[in-house]
Amino acid sequence: MNDDWSETLKAYLQSLMPLLSSILLVIFSFVPFNVVWDSNIHAAVACACVYYWLLHRPDVFNLFSVFILGLVEDALTSAPLGASILQLLILYVVVNNLLKYFNGKSFEVMWVGFVLCSFVAMFAHWFIVSVYYAAFLPFGLFFFTFLVTVCAYPLITLFNVFVQNKLMTDEA
Amino acid sequence: MQLSHIRLLLKKFALVILFLVAFVMMLLNKTDTVLVDKTSSVATDVISPLVDLLNLPAKSVSFVYDYFKDLRLARAENRKLRAENRKLRLISERARSLEIENRLLAQLLNYTRPDEENLITARVIAEEGDAFSHSLIAYTGKASNPQKGQVVLTEKGVVGRLDKVGKMYSKILLITDINSRIPVMIEKTRVRGILAGDNELQPKLVFTPLFSEIKVGDRIVTSGVAGVFPSGLPVGVVSQVSKREIRVLPFADLDRVEYVKIVSYPVDDEETLDDETQEVNHE
Repeated sequence: MNDDWSETLKAYLQSLMPLLSSILLVIFSFVPFNVVWDSNIHAAVACACVYYWLLHRPDVFNLFSVFILGLVEDALTSAPLGASILQLLILYVVVNNLLKYFNGKSFEVMWVGFVLCSFVAMFAHWFIVSVYYAAFLPFGLFFFTFLVTVCAYPLITLFNVFVQNKLMTDEA
Repeated sequence: MQLSHIRLLLKKFALVILFLVAFVMMLLNKTDTVLVDKTSSVATDVISPLVDLLNLPAKSVSFVYDYFKDLRLARAENRKLRAENRKLRLISERARSLEIENRLLAQLLNYTRPDEENLITARVIAEEGDAFSHSLIAYTGKASNPQKGQVVLTEKGVVGRLDKVGKMYSKILLITDINSRIPVMIEKTRVRGILAGDNELQPKLVFTPLFSEIKVGDRIVTSGVAGVFPSGLPVGVVSQVSKREIRVLPFADLDRVEYVKIVSYPVDDEETLDDETQEVNHE
């Protein structure tokens, strides 16, 4: 009986692992390091996590996980509430439509896929928030954030691979 | 039978529903209701302890970096600080005598001094500054009782104002954020304007008089207009003057803020301080 309970709990925790690890990474990206090379601009970690988990474990990272991750990001920023959620939902739609082209391919192909998908989602985010404020937001800063995100993708993937291989089983 | 049918429908339209929820959230945000303010403050209070916890490894990295940096620079910095200290002692003596003189003159003119401000020191636990928003989250604690709208400073100058105030943590809107508007003036000429953020790294100076002479290098301080901010707080220096816009480089390094001071200042409901002074002088 006890074994059943612990097994159920373990399976439940494992199914939550992609969301929990993504939340952890998103929060960590907001932590200030106060060193010379540190700046307030940080990678769109949530986009990288959503892309990775939708490609690798769509069975445990669903639409609601995407929504919650967006909500967490919105709570941390002073951007309009709901803007990050919209960005991640757009990414969800784009990735789900292009899944067949990237799934099971080499890392390089997936990285190129991320460049395309994240650009669409981040540009949509930039456009929506610009419409919200009725003023174009600085495109240079947006593009720099996009570049930082693309460069940070391998590192974020490394962390996600660790979570997937070490903390989860295939049937979770 | 019915329940499973509803569940199936919800699953089918979940994406559309969540898109609608996000849109409604943005619309509610636009109307700036108390509900959104409270929800956002609660959300900040819920998530911030976790951010605070993750600050520990970040602090270790920062500590190691600072340790080696300090070791390298200690000698030169010591010499520089000694020289600076000698200069500051002289300035301090001069400031003391000027303060006494100022007090005597204020008595002669029957000038009403503004209320003394209270300072709350808070530790920054999260920062962001991309194209979408520029803000900080700081641990303000329970006892300090900060209020929305209060001005936030570092030792170098103004960094922003309190935007969302939670029970333990508060969100600070930086002067570069698109929602930030601060009444300022040129220190030397007393020309007034509004410092407006637009999510760029340097905020704009707007609503200045048409033929006012503003030059690169002019110091910008808070004007105290509207009585919410004390006047004379250092903000930045004019870095760019063109036909289209005037940009201001903030004194405070907004990328590296560790601790901030929140200025609690009694709001003046009636006339502004400067207007009062002018009236007294006219009389």
